Amino acid sequence: MKPFEYKFSDKLDEILHILSQSGTDAKILAGGTDLLIELRRKPKVYPGVIVDISFVNELKGIFEDNNHITIKPLSTHTKIFKSDIIRKKAYLLSEATSQIGSLQIRNRGTVGGNIMNAAACADTVPPLIALNAEITLRSQNSVRSFKLNDFFIKPYKTKANPDEVLTEIKINCLPKDAKSTFIKLGRRNALSISRLSVAAVLQQDEDGKIIDARIVPGAAFPTWQRVVEAEQMLIGEKPGIELFRAAGAKVSEVMISYTGRRWSTEYKEPVIAALVRRALERCSI
Amino acid sequence: MEQDKYKIIGKPEKRVDVLGKVTGKAKFADDYNVKHQLYGKVLRAKYPHARILKIDTSKAKNLPGVEAVLTADDIPGSKVFGIVVQNQSILAFDKVRYLGDGLAIVAAKTKEIAEEALELIEVEYEVLPVVTDPEEAIMPDAPKIHGDNNIFVHHKVRKGDIEKGFQEADYIIERKFKTQFIEHSYLEPEAILAEPAEHGGVRIIGSVQNLFSSRRSVAAALNLPLNKVQIIQSTLGGSFGGKDEVMTAMCCRAALLAIKTGKPVKMVNTREESMLESYKRHPYTMYYKWGIKSDGSITAMEIKIYADGGAYASMSPYVTWRSVVQATGPYYCENVKTDVITVYTNNNYTGAMRGFGSPQVNFAIESMIDIIAEKVGKDPLEIRLQNGFEKGAITATGQKLEHNVSLKEVLLKAAKEIDFQNKWREYKSQSDAPIKRGIGIACSYRGVSLGAEGTDAAGTIVSVQTDGSVIVSSGITDMGQGAQTQMCQIAAEVLGITMDRIVFLNTNTSRVPDSGPTVASRGTIMGGYAAKRAAETVRSTLMSVASEMTGYDVEVLDLKDNYLIDKDSGERLASFSELAAQCFKKGRPMFGFGWYKSPPTSWHEENGYGNAYFTFVYGTNIAEVEVDTETGKVNVINFVSAHDLGRAINKQTVLGQFYGGVAMGLGYGLLEEFEIEDGIPKQLNFDEYLLPTAKDIPNIKAIIVENEDAAGPFGAKSIGEPTNEIAAPAIINAIYNATGKRIYELPANLERVLLGHKLTRKGERGSVQKEKEELIIESCKIK
Ligand SMILES: Cc1cc2nc3c(=O)[nH]c(=O)nc-3n(C[C@H](O)[C@H](O)[C@H](O)COP(=O)(O)OP(=O)(O)OC[C@H]3O[C@@H](n4cnc5c(N)ncnc54)[C@H](O)[C@@H]3O)c2cc1C
Repeated sequence: MKPFEYKFSDKLDEILHILSQSGTDAKILAGGTDLLIELRRKPKVYPGVIVDISFVNELKGIFEDNNHITIKPLSTHTKIFKSDIIRKKAYLLSEATSQIGSLQIRNRGTVGGNIMNAAACADTVPPLIALNAEITLRSQNSVRSFKLNDFFIKPYKTKANPDEVLTEIKINCLPKDAKSTFIKLGRRNALSISRLSVAAVLQQDEDGKIIDARIVPGAAFPTWQRVVEAEQMLIGEKPGIELFRAAGAKVSEVMISYTGRRWSTEYKEPVIAALVRRALERCSI
Repeated sequence: MEQDKYKIIGKPEKRVDVLGKVTGKAKFADDYNVKHQLYGKVLRAKYPHARILKIDTSKAKNLPGVEAVLTADDIPGSKVFGIVVQNQSILAFDKVRYLGDGLAIVAAKTKEIAEEALELIEVEYEVLPVVTDPEEAIMPDAPKIHGDNNIFVHHKVRKGDIEKGFQEADYIIERKFKTQFIEHSYLEPEAILAEPAEHGGVRIIGSVQNLFSSRRSVAAALNLPLNKVQIIQSTLGGSFGGKDEVMTAMCCRAALLAIKTGKPVKMVNTREESMLESYKRHPYTMYYKWGIKSDGSITAMEIKIYADGGAYASMSPYVTWRSVVQATGPYYCENVKTDVITVYTNNNYTGAMRGFGSPQVNFAIESMIDIIAEKVGKDPLEIRLQNGFEKGAITATGQKLEHNVSLKEVLLKAAKEIDFQNKWREYKSQSDAPIKRGIGIACSYRGVSLGAEGTDAAGTIVSVQTDGSVIVSSGITDMGQGAQTQMCQIAAEVLGITMDRIVFLNTNTSRVPDSGPTVASRGTIMGGYAAKRAAETVRSTLMSVASEMTGYDVEVLDLKDNYLIDKDSGERLASFSELAAQCFKKGRPMFGFGWYKSPPTSWHEENGYGNAYFTFVYGTNIAEVEVDTETGKVNVINFVSAHDLGRAINKQTVLGQFYGGVAMGLGYGLLEEFEIEDGIPKQLNFDEYLLPTAKDIPNIKAIIVENEDAAGPFGAKSIGEPTNEIAAPAIINAIYNATGKRIYELPANLERVLLGHKLTRKGERGSVQKEKEELIIESCKIK
């Protein structure tokens, strides 16, 4: 690691001020589980100032109001996974955070860092997009909001400016009768990055007909998005293995339409289809 | 019970090094620091194969804080080293042959300055074509790595008449198997501290596995006699065979810097440097052709293996020799022709790693035996019981097995434990579902210690102090496997004392005899036997003093629980401490030195036969798996590991070997692969090089089988490597039982299990490169 200046404050205003002064030379530190690894690799653009936001209490906590949940960016994966609100009203995010890295990583890593780092395998992003998440970014002079699915440009690149802090993540509570799941496929059973993942939500009416369907694959598309083509196949239908299989196949097809056939397609094509089918099956039991 | 024959042997005694390790007081190499020490760093190659035209160090030398910048020109003595072939450069001077080669070394006041200085060294290269596939490296027009032939070892085994064997066969089965490079993954990367010594020599402390071979190379490089090079082993954070040549190079480099600057020099590899430079387990390409009768007996085995030796010879001649000896497995066959050819490439060099040439061949053998079982309609246990060695069997190398051959005992015990045959049958015909279960078995026989590879002898010192406390030291080293505890237990048993009286001294080349390398699972059998003899020497002195002291005959006296006792009445006549004091007073020596040389072995290299090892051990592994047939993910859910190790000196330590061996074997079978593409390694840290985690390791049932062997102390043989060498094939066979699809190349990762081959990103983006077609040939001669 190279030398850098370390600044911190427990007040968001001061953080924003520091960032406005340092310009592109600054880097925000939350849990550090991505940033420290990055610094050790000695990237070409090496930050001169590290701004530690981890003491800012106003960036911590999970709150519910009306039909919304506000997740503050410094919430660790452990905090999210253990939150009753999340478990009851955004179950798939609870499932996703419980599978991240290892206990140590879950205790340190934050949802804000996960989003802002924007790795293709970030495990909180597919569930958050399935929950129609909106985020708020603040700088000294501006407040901006994004729908999370509009926020990413490509892996490791977002629309945020270097002086902006992610201050809030807002999601819709899932309806009581909706079921959700997150399936992660890794090469091993812990400390494993997602080879592929799927976030899914299904809601059925009293007759059993599907009235809401959301499917967001992870590590499959250039950026995350709901696969509307597959979701629409489900609306108005009753759950069934053939239907889910077809939806899975649709997701593969859409994936290939974005990525083209690449070296890994031979594997991803059948597997993403199977994972989608499984996720939908889980949401309909 | 028979166990009660011994007081200490076989008991779960606390490890002698436990306190330091659990309290954090144990000093690992990086914990040694002295005032004014400099930091050494190595400039490594830019290309995997290139001629060195010029190295300009002038700018680096002028950087403030830099005290020395050295190249091969500054080495006063031998610029190369090697245990068998002396061709590994301490610092490359003519060519670089792989990306881990060092070209220059820097000593500076801080690590950062040293790193900065590396960037100021200018090297002019002439880039040469790279060869990385052993089968391409043997082509006449392939780029040559050393001299004019890339083949540097060709071991053979010849038995019977191979043509006749195939003629007698009802079926001929041919398959090709491949294994990968894997990394030892010792927790502690390489580190040492080298200090100039008063007598003009050098003193090195660090994480060195084979101190004596490293010492030889340092002495040769510095033109020093061996008595002026002292290497002391710090507490080692793992080795698995991996801290040999890579540490020798580090010792030579740091010693050179220390002598040139007159100051202590610290050298520590980062994980990336460690993975880039260190040697790996050999990848093998194996062609197996077996002739079998329709009853399942084997009439011929023709085996051809290409081993990737990488850039330097290292231990390859020995590693591949074990492979040639064991390539047929523990199965009867009259007609055998085996060739193991080892070649140089521009990959990381390959050398010793736990298993030492057996994990590769066991994967092929244990797959083949399952394949032939299916062919003749037998189950995997039946076919092994049918063909497996018994006492008196003649091996492929013509050796008659005279010891207790317990292959069938371990097979049956393991199978019974998990109800192997019933499960195997049930899983074979399970109904179609995404998640399938399977069970697989693998067994092996393994030659103990070095065998005819080389001189096999070791020494241990047992020194009783005047207060009755004891110091044990040995040329056999401890890497964490527990060798010290085993040797101390043996000494304690012989002296009739408790373990708390004994301290083990870390190995120091100037204080103990050269005992060869601590490899080949020889620590307990060799160092332990020497410890027994050393303790017996002291004991006999103590007993004669005891007899003088008490007026009793030696025959009626015994040492027990720290006391001298009357054997018949059990009456305590004196404490062990009093006896030691008496002994000292009478001017009698309480210092015992024991030496053990192994029983004879023999080898005829030209004709490929001989009594390869003085004794063998036998083991069986059974894996039960769940295969996700839609993703290729394999979970090992149950495991049985049964090994005959002669005698367990310390059950706890032995269990540690069982569990660790299986975990490591599981990594080999399912996850680990050090990928090198055109000479460029792709994974340099554990974020991408995937080891199994605790959550990937199944419940492991260990079955310790003890058939004492006359060749070992208290009957003990080996356990370190056997536990590691058959886990992978057991898992692969289990996958086949679940899916009906056989894996011919390790590791069985997601892609291979799902698609039958690996995916590689190579060349153009978007292009898909498949592995070469698998070789599956079967001919049937029955009408
Ligand atoms: C061993 C290991 C295993 C891992 N396993 C997983 C896994 O299974 N799944 C997974 O998704 N990830 C995994 N990760 C990655 C990482 O832990 C997560 O992405 C984590 O959520 C990052 O959060 P952090 O707080 O540590 O981020 P940091 O490292 O502190 O920051 C990451 C990036 O986000 C920026 N940033 C952080 N917070 C803010 C903010 N509020 N506003 C603006 N910018 C901000 C930082 O400047 C930096 O660029 C793993 C990491 C390790 C080391």
